Amino acid sequence: MIEGLFYLLLFPGLVFQVVCGLGFEWVDRKLLALFQRRVGPPWYQPLADMIKLFGKEDLLPTQANDLIASLLPLISLSAVLTAGLYVPIAGFSPFSFEGDLIVILFLMSVPTLSYYLAGILSIGIYSVLGGGRSLLQYFSYEVPFLIALSGPAVAAGSWSVEGIMNAQFSLGSFILFQPLGFLLALIGLIGKLKRDPLDIPSAKSEVIGGSLTEYTGAKLAFWHLVMNVQAVVGIFLMINLFLGWTKFHNPAIALAVFVLEVLLITGVLSTTSAVFARLRIDQLAGFGWRILVPLSIAQLTFVILMGA
Amino acid sequence: MSKISIPIGPQHPLLKEPLSMMVDISGERVLGASLRLGYVHRGIERLAQTRTYTQNVHLIERICGICSHIHTTTYCQAVEAVLGVEIPLRASYLRALMCELERVHSHLLWLGILAKHIGLDTIFMHAWHDRESVLDVMEEISGGRVLHAANQIGGVRFDIDHDHDSMIRSALKKLHEQVAGLLDVIENEPALIARTKGVAPVSPEVIKKYCVVGPMARASGVNVDMRRENPIPPYDQLDFSVVTHPDGDAWSRTYVRVEEIRVSLNLCESILEQLPEGPVNIRVPRRVPAGEVIIRSEAPRGELFYYLRSDGTDKPARLKVRTPTLAALSLLPEQLSAIHVADIPVVLAGVDLCVACADR
Amino acid sequence: MTEINLDHLCNTLKSNLGCDCHVFEEIMNDKTLVIDADSLKDAVKLLDCEFDNLHLSAITAQQRDPQADDIEVIYHFYLGEGFSLLTSLLGEEHVLPSLISIIPGADFYEREIAEMFGITFSGRTETPSLLLPEDWDQGPPFIRKEDKDE
Repeated sequence: MIEGLFYLLLFPGLVFQVVCGLGFEWVDRKLLALFQRRVGPPWYQPLADMIKLFGKEDLLPTQANDLIASLLPLISLSAVLTAGLYVPIAGFSPFSFEGDLIVILFLMSVPTLSYYLAGILSIGIYSVLGGGRSLLQYFSYEVPFLIALSGPAVAAGSWSVEGIMNAQFSLGSFILFQPLGFLLALIGLIGKLKRDPLDIPSAKSEVIGGSLTEYTGAKLAFWHLVMNVQAVVGIFLMINLFLGWTKFHNPAIALAVFVLEVLLITGVLSTTSAVFARLRIDQLAGFGWRILVPLSIAQLTFVILMGA
Repeated sequence: MSKISIPIGPQHPLLKEPLSMMVDISGERVLGASLRLGYVHRGIERLAQTRTYTQNVHLIERICGICSHIHTTTYCQAVEAVLGVEIPLRASYLRALMCELERVHSHLLWLGILAKHIGLDTIFMHAWHDRESVLDVMEEISGGRVLHAANQIGGVRFDIDHDHDSMIRSALKKLHEQVAGLLDVIENEPALIARTKGVAPVSPEVIKKYCVVGPMARASGVNVDMRRENPIPPYDQLDFSVVTHPDGDAWSRTYVRVEEIRVSLNLCESILEQLPEGPVNIRVPRRVPAGEVIIRSEAPRGELFYYLRSDGTDKPARLKVRTPTLAALSLLPEQLSAIHVADIPVVLAGVDLCVACADR
Repeated sequence: MTEINLDHLCNTLKSNLGCDCHVFEEIMNDKTLVIDADSLKDAVKLLDCEFDNLHLSAITAQQRDPQADDIEVIYHFYLGEGFSLLTSLLGEEHVLPSLISIIPGADFYEREIAEMFGITFSGRTETPSLLLPEDWDQGPPFIRKEDKDE
């Protein structure tokens, strides 16, 4: 009982993930600042932003349903936190079972759908536009993302993240065999996180704040938290599926390798958002279905043929 | 999908200055737009009739916060023409130096805004960083970053010495490198090209029909530049090329403006090289004889038009200002139809709006 | 660059439109013709055919005589060199033909002087408020004679 609560609330649950989420935001912003010849925020800035948002007045359009609007970020947050519980951290995975990859992927789709609902239900013109865009974007990246992530699972012969991670000890990191799959998964992750250059649903110069235009105060803070925790869970998942090598007999080495890999992927994400311009939604849809989907299917076919 | 109208402005992240547009959209398609100005209308044309010619130099400077120097330059040229005085050659060179520096910083500012609009914040930061060094130069030689108060009727109020000269030269050299880097990004960055190539193309015929001027006209292949057409010293003694591009889309507008930065940097260098010795201003009478004059000059955004009528008192009887943005704005509703919602920022940026100029 | 022969142009306008037209020499560096308001639109149409690079720089309106109600409107063109058409609107009612069917770019210029001087433009739908507030009710704000009496 005590152990279960510890897992849920402290590690690898709520507190750990939130701290990681805020830490990710800081590293990301700092790296972006370096690319842009700026100083960047101090380490406590993401936390300060959260606290400030919690202190702000909570407003919604009168026609919007306050209860649903508050529930959506909370549901999303619990979904990504639950997903985080199943992703091994430096080889530590108390809840692992065969097939948990499917559960994680399902749970990680919940925020996207809530984001869409948040846009539609908070009435404003820009929210509706942003919500529609987020759904369109979801259809563009989700299919190649899922196919790309099933590559390591097929190669390892296991649908458990821990099993895939362990398989890489004997087979070697899957990024070496499936570089294309890694790339596709990374693009999918950027789309999922709505990060620049795929921040189409929340493009400030086009739809103000997208779905979240009408959100303020604590609700908005929760949405920011959802995005950050989702990023962290996504990065952890990518490491376990494609990089591996995070389970050693010595936990210190395992942790060091894990942190290094996290920083590596964060660096790649920040670089991508610094050097690319935002795509248009029709360009993304074309890119997703004409290029990413065929590539991911080719990748998966290749993996299956190699395994057979 | 049904038609909805989204308001863009007067306050909107897209706009740095207040302008109001109602854009009708259906799904992700734009159907049409209507436009309204006047949120920064200060009645400067009328105010000018109640002030003396000298006071007006400072009033006119406040028409625009980006191209303030070209406004005072054109105004002073108009008054000097009515007075019938010729200013020292060194003064006209110094005026031109400021004009070219202003063009550089205006175009860099514009490039930053375009990059920001298409989500390329890195270029935004870099362009504005470089722009800051131009502003530093202008501050160093005139005393003001944005409002320089550099002109007076009969010449300029500043002079540059040897230290200034070497400082400007080193800044220009650095800018040359930075602009080469920016041009490289514009020509090669795939997402930027995908967002701007073929977006909202304008044909030369439409440009002529709508009387559009400046870089926007040149990006459609209309070879017009008032510095060349209507040469006032020192442009008649300087050698420079007029950048044009045939495509007329958002990308060619970007290309033309960034190339123009290079042309202007080169012009600055040749101005410094040919800078004649002599006084920088002369005394002129306060009372201006009766007369009417028209001056056309090339502001960063295109042809700037001044009409001045003097009735022999110490105040102008009529001062008409037609800024280049006003000419470009009339094309905007036309451009904002049958495009993607996501292209609105690109189209708006392509016009290089200066709402304060248009409103006066 | 086509050199504008002002006398020739004046005669062409006179013979083709049968209107009164003469050279105006006050403006120092622009060639200017005076034409009456009724034949303005035909004159611009003729210019548009004659010159392929007809560019309308601006439209200026002003009260030359501060004591009178007359408003003078100058159309500033650029055809490789400056060229202006000047027309005077006498009396209280000021009506001008709109040019937007020939030069769509004249739209904003016409709206501006319609607002500032109370000139009505015939042949176009409306001139909605461009610069002044929607609730402006003090008439055209620009130079009227009372200002000059102060």
